[in-house]
Amino acid sequence: MRIASTQYHATMNTALQSASVRLQNILQKMASGERYLLPSESPIANVRLSRLTREEALLDQYRDNIATLQSTMSRNEAVLSGMSADLLSARDLLVWVADGSNTSEDIAAVASSFEPLIASLFYNANTLDAEGRYVFSGTAPQTPTLSYDPAAPLGARYTATGNVEQQLVAVGNGITQPANVTVPELADTLNRMESIYTTLRTPGISVNDPVIRAAVADTLVALDEALDINSTKIATLGGSQNILATLESNHSNVSLSNQHAALIVGQLDYGDAAVKLNGYHAAIEATQKAYSKVSKLSLFDAL
Amino acid sequence: MSLIYNALSGALAAQAGLSATSQNVANVMTPGYSRQGVLLASVQPLQSGALSAGSGVTVPSLLRFSDNYKSLQMWSAASELGQRSTAQPYFTQLEQVLGEDESGINSGLDAFFGALNAASVEPTSSPLRQQVITTADALAQRFNSLNQVLSNQRASVAQQRYTSIAQVNTLSQQIAKLNEQIARTQGTGVNPSGLIDARDAKIDELSSLVALQVVPQSDGSSSVSLRGGQPLVVGARAADMRVQWNPDGSQTLFVDFASESFSLANTRLGGQMGGLDDFEARSLVPLMESVMGMAQQLADNVNGQLAAGYALDGTTGLPLFVLDATGATGVLQVRADVTAAQLAFSSNPATPGNSDNLQALIALQRQPVTLAALGSVSLADAMTQLVAQLGMQSQQNTAALSTAQTVRDQAQESWKSTSGVNLDEEAANLMQYQQMYQANMKVIAIANELFDSTLAMLR
Repeated sequence: MRIASTQYHATMNTALQSASVRLQNILQKMASGERYLLPSESPIANVRLSRLTREEALLDQYRDNIATLQSTMSRNEAVLSGMSADLLSARDLLVWVADGSNTSEDIAAVASSFEPLIASLFYNANTLDAEGRYVFSGTAPQTPTLSYDPAAPLGARYTATGNVEQQLVAVGNGITQPANVTVPELADTLNRMESIYTTLRTPGISVNDPVIRAAVADTLVALDEALDINSTKIATLGGSQNILATLESNHSNVSLSNQHAALIVGQLDYGDAAVKLNGYHAAIEATQKAYSKVSKLSLFDAL
Repeated sequence: MSLIYNALSGALAAQAGLSATSQNVANVMTPGYSRQGVLLASVQPLQSGALSAGSGVTVPSLLRFSDNYKSLQMWSAASELGQRSTAQPYFTQLEQVLGEDESGINSGLDAFFGALNAASVEPTSSPLRQQVITTADALAQRFNSLNQVLSNQRASVAQQRYTSIAQVNTLSQQIAKLNEQIARTQGTGVNPSGLIDARDAKIDELSSLVALQVVPQSDGSSSVSLRGGQPLVVGARAADMRVQWNPDGSQTLFVDFASESFSLANTRLGGQMGGLDDFEARSLVPLMESVMGMAQQLADNVNGQLAAGYALDGTTGLPLFVLDATGATGVLQVRADVTAAQLAFSSNPATPGNSDNLQALIALQRQPVTLAALGSVSLADAMTQLVAQLGMQSQQNTAALSTAQTVRDQAQESWKSTSGVNLDEEAANLMQYQQMYQANMKVIAIANELFDSTLAMLR
């Protein structure tokens, strides 16, 4: 084929241009460490990376939720443990009261120890969080968990005013965990405690009176029941926290494998890039040398 | 005497050859220059007699080295290249904007649904509710800025089309003018090669803008029409292309020739104008519709779910997003007077701490939306798929662009192999014509000597 003189220049230009584009591309990739600069370089890899990022964002959120939930649960657990301690103290006092050798003065003294326990239980049941919400009121956090009405007849003054609904928190894909605990049964316990407290404070009371004995025995049973319920709640909270810990570890494992996958898909192989860079460099050098040789050939030099 | 005349004709022919060679050497770097040569023909003897060899040499015309087929190939390659190369910068810009994950719609959605998720831990917490509003606002701004980029691109496409039309008209007129000059020059016997080069260069330029059919005419002119047959140049007359804006924001092109008007709607134009049409119709507009669709369905779904719930004070939920497809400040906004307490996370007016409606809001992320370009996809995955689709279109265009560039390079090389100047060849021609000239002069000198010897006899 006949070759025009300018074809050398054109070929040289085209070769250098395309080599420069490749060099620029590989340099940019080496600078950023990314295997693909634009989605069009690999639309499929782009989809995979994007989906991994979405899943990571979701996992991060779940892990955040779990961390918050764990601190809420341990706070609830602490408050419930406090309640258990109060109930246990009240039970000890009643067991002591049941001893028939007590005088009415002794019993009045014990009764005075009963009052702070009732107040403490009531206060703990109405625990507020930093934003002023009642933590044991179910889904009605603006309403006190337990209310006290001094005008009501004795034994019905404490009422549960919160509700027992659960606040569910998403802690995994399709997995929710209740964030709250409710204590409506404490109203009944407190009513019984107040009744027995009032009874015990009656001057000249004798614990050997069968009616009083029966009342004390009934209250003991009620306290035992309340303790049982409370212990079950604490155990459930502990179990939930274990589940959360397992979930958290699952999430972090998935997250780790996602990050690993994202690196495999999206990170530049520097070795490969360096080899390519060398190749392009050599190609440019060779083209330039060949061009300078070829362009030196001219018949006009012989004229 | 014929000896001198023969030698003189040879010397003149050699001069013509040298002149053609010098023109070729002078134009070695001129783009689009077709090399020329001399056509040499021996002249039949004027005298009668068996011993008359002939009456020298003549140059009946100059040779113009060109191959019409190769020119046509080059022009058709220019159209394909123009079509692909025009769309590529638009694709690349879109890819850069959409591919940026951190500032894109996707991470905006992640943040919004993340905030909803975080609020599920304490649905009545003001800071957590406020965070939902803040991320919703950021998400709306992302939609707006993406929509702005897409609108700007559409405006830019329209502007480029407008400029291209002006160029098409100018080039058509120049080609018509050159056609006229070529026909006239050929008629008066002057060499039109330079004019033909100039016209073909204009056709080459025009073919990059729009795909052409070029038919050479007997008078040396070329008729140029669009691929669909609508005429652009016939002889010395040029058509006029114009654009008409439609109410829906699209444009329709027309070609007016003499008293006829041809609509170019639904015509595959090819060239840069075809590239603009394809990009706009197949990529940009579907993408715009999809982004709008996403914004609309996000707003509708979120507002709809909020309306099913109750705010902290037990009132029915108010919308969070405001959609305004023609809004000057953007398509998607967060309602200006929305407050954290108004967010309807509860499914029961009596229990503000209930998070059932909030869970339903969180689930919207996985619910399907129907988009123009993709059909039904989940909200969380929609943008990923749109970017992937754009990436594939861009990938196709890049591959086609690379092919078109190679084809164009080869077509140019092929054209040059016929019409381009080779300096070594010209150097050889230069020497040969120089020798031819010197030899003919020598013949004259010898003829002169012969004549002198004859005259000497008479002294």
